Amino acid sequence: MVYRGSIFQSWEQKLLALVVLLPAFVFAAAPQPPEGTGAILIKNATVMTVTHGTLEHGNILIENGKIMAVGTDVAAPSGAMVIDATAQVVTPGLIDAHSHMALGDDINEATSPVVPQMMMEDALDPADKAIYRALAGGVTTALLLHGSADMIGGQAVVIKTKYGMGRDQLLFPNAPRSIKFASGENPKRVFGAKGQAPSTRMGNFEVMRQAFEDARHYLKEWDAYNDKVKRGDKDAMPPKRDLKLEALADVLRGKLLVQVHCYRADEMLTEMAIAKEYGYHIRAFHHALEAYKVADQIAANQIGVATWADWWGFKQEAWDGIPWNAAIDARRGVRVAIKSDSNEQVRRLNQEAAKIVRYGAISEEEALRMITLNPAWMIGVDDRVGSIEAGKDADLVIWNSNPLSIYALVNKVLIDGRVFFDRSLGGLGLTHRTEGQ
Amino acid sequence: MIKPKPDFMRVPFLRADLSFWSWGLSLILCCFSLTIWGAATNPARQGKKPASQAGTAAKDKQTIVALRGGKLLTVSHGVIENGILVMEDGKITAVGAASRVRIPAEAEVIDVTGMTVYPGLIDSETHLGLTEISAEPSTNDLVEPSGEIMPDMHVADAFHAETALIPVARVNGITNAIVAPTDRDTLPGQDALIQLAGRSAREMLLQPDIAMPLDFTGSQRRVGPSFEQNKFPSTRMGLAAELRQTFLDAQEYARKADGYEKKLAAWNADKKGDEPAAPKRDLKMEALQPYLQGKKAVIIAADEASDLETAVRLAQEFHLKFILNHLTHTQRVLDYVASLHAPVIVGPIYNFPKDDERYDAVYRLPAELHQRGVKIAFASYDAHNVRNLPYAAGYAVAFGLPYEEALKALTLNPAEIWGVNDKLGSLDVGKIANVVVANGDPLDVKTEVKRVFIQGREIPMTNRQTQLRDEYMSKP
Repeated sequence: MVYRGSIFQSWEQKLLALVVLLPAFVFAAAPQPPEGTGAILIKNATVMTVTHGTLEHGNILIENGKIMAVGTDVAAPSGAMVIDATAQVVTPGLIDAHSHMALGDDINEATSPVVPQMMMEDALDPADKAIYRALAGGVTTALLLHGSADMIGGQAVVIKTKYGMGRDQLLFPNAPRSIKFASGENPKRVFGAKGQAPSTRMGNFEVMRQAFEDARHYLKEWDAYNDKVKRGDKDAMPPKRDLKLEALADVLRGKLLVQVHCYRADEMLTEMAIAKEYGYHIRAFHHALEAYKVADQIAANQIGVATWADWWGFKQEAWDGIPWNAAIDARRGVRVAIKSDSNEQVRRLNQEAAKIVRYGAISEEEALRMITLNPAWMIGVDDRVGSIEAGKDADLVIWNSNPLSIYALVNKVLIDGRVFFDRSLGGLGLTHRTEGQ
Repeated sequence: MIKPKPDFMRVPFLRADLSFWSWGLSLILCCFSLTIWGAATNPARQGKKPASQAGTAAKDKQTIVALRGGKLLTVSHGVIENGILVMEDGKITAVGAASRVRIPAEAEVIDVTGMTVYPGLIDSETHLGLTEISAEPSTNDLVEPSGEIMPDMHVADAFHAETALIPVARVNGITNAIVAPTDRDTLPGQDALIQLAGRSAREMLLQPDIAMPLDFTGSQRRVGPSFEQNKFPSTRMGLAAELRQTFLDAQEYARKADGYEKKLAAWNADKKGDEPAAPKRDLKMEALQPYLQGKKAVIIAADEASDLETAVRLAQEFHLKFILNHLTHTQRVLDYVASLHAPVIVGPIYNFPKDDERYDAVYRLPAELHQRGVKIAFASYDAHNVRNLPYAAGYAVAFGLPYEEALKALTLNPAEIWGVNDKLGSLDVGKIANVVVANGDPLDVKTEVKRVFIQGREIPMTNRQTQLRDEYMSKP
């Protein structure tokens, strides 16, 4: 709304106003506001918000990288860049809760079954083309995990797929810390082949328990030291800092979101029992192909399931995988994410989620939630991404049609309110180039 | 004096006395008639089964099935909205608009209003029956890696018809497939064409030894963990040289065999001198003969343009008939590919583009090939995920391949490539009744297949996965 009444009484006042306001007019008339700070209005799209249904002919106002407003009558402030999304569909940027992209061949520190001090951000290669291809498929946030060779693996790094930018810009700001646990065939095969423990499932779980016993002891030592310091003991000597035990202690202190690679129903129960014994929560089971067999227990413990639509049969522990797993779990109250664990599949998470509509007759909204808000929750960033709501990051995908289809194409991807991918552009379709390109 | 006949032999109404013999004859005649009648009305002989098996019996007897009211995607002659398809004795006997097709009175009519009806899909490369659990070696017969020249490895000898993977695949409408070894060897063996239903391997193996892969992707090189541990052939020139020598040896073998035949014929004529000694049979060399004679096709597998050119040059040297496979990184030589006038099994569409290529370079490949007049087919290149075959075609449509071509690349094109288009690949009268009914677009991930017919018999839409689903969905 603009006040059009005259506020100038005399020509002097008018001249003064002109002199003062002229620079503002000049700037407002500039062709583009500075990137990322100006306003963008995405106009006249079908907006699949995930949390508030689907809006036809909806507008999304973005300012300073955040979603400011969503609605049919949201207007563009002057100077805003307008993206006409007529006949197109907008969804939140897709989120992959299980990826190893941009970690090269440094996914597994497989030399010991307990390596929680490994920080995946130390292996991150922001120039990896896998990030570009994921971006072109509409993925804007990914949890990059340690591999599953170890019972207790390293700590994950969360990135936004701002391909073309440097490492620091890719890191999801202030993302909660996640850690990777594994169980089943992989650890016992890796260490069994070396003649080391663990080489069996019972070995697997004992290695885990012993690690937590060591962590408990470490915690006690530090608690004792901290008590002494509090009481003013000037001669108190701190225990030796051990990064491994510190990380394990952080699990016990609840500072880490625990992501557990686990296929078999019985092992999921054991993981839950160990978690209870040592007093930590499991955030999500990953793969979890047998989750449908123990869905009630998983739901009761408020643990999520990050799984595939229909992969199965590649290992004995994947033999009972069925495509109805996600839908059965969801119906029992489990938060389900469809994840890729694959540089190939991350490019088309929308297709995999669409399969769940057929395998379980769930709604399209539920299916979309499995690649947006649910994985966001698993990563601990659901307050900032995963749905189209005022206040959230402007991570948005503009599709040429409903994404839950084999035919859907990504037209544009915005992250933090800036366009990073545009299919209509030549070359790679990127708007931000890496150095040297 | 004539003795009077006893009373029992008197037949009052005939006013005659039957002799002893005529009574006997009548009795025998009576018994005979009873036996005949009994046999004629015996349920077993009439083909009726006891009540408990009545259900199966009814299905066995059901040789005429009519699908009414569906949208027929014939592939060969367009789309028929509201059509009728009739199947009898394993063949399609009628296809057409509902107004023009008469349904036989004794047919079982299935209402498929609102559904699409299309030919069973043909997967041009799978490993069905050669693996059960990928990571378990005892379940794998994917390739014989002890040597790289193994043309006499017949996939048909390893095909496990009873694999749990086939019922999982066929419920999504894949009715036929090529079973191939994996590409660890340059000549890994000979493929088989199968049907995804049948009483045993004998029924399911439609054509063993239908074609021979010639793999030249580079992954056939015998490269050890370090340079010193390399074995021949450890380079591409090694692979090519070995193949050349192999084909030369096979030609030599043929000449020797020919020479022997001539000598034998001559010796048979006059029996002079010693009988010529037959050359020792070499199964490897024998296996190559139909390919060297151009009677069967080799399937040249290459991803890179340079590998493709090398392999094609080699095939041309020996006048081999060939089909092309993969070609996912041949974007810079597509005109050359078209000039070869060979069909292409294109994919996997999910292969990564090269590092400097646009993200959709491989997605667009099927469309680019088709635009240049190349006949294409799709393959799953898999065993566990054969069911997802149609989505590779759908993805190609998203990136420019015309829809009709995509469906054709799953049906009539592979039928033609494999030489079985007289029997398979379209909804046409006379073809085998491999027919699929689905609740929508066969190429989209959200579509559900409702019925599958193979040789006119309806396939149960169950497998170990549906069984697990039902078991756990119903658990309290």
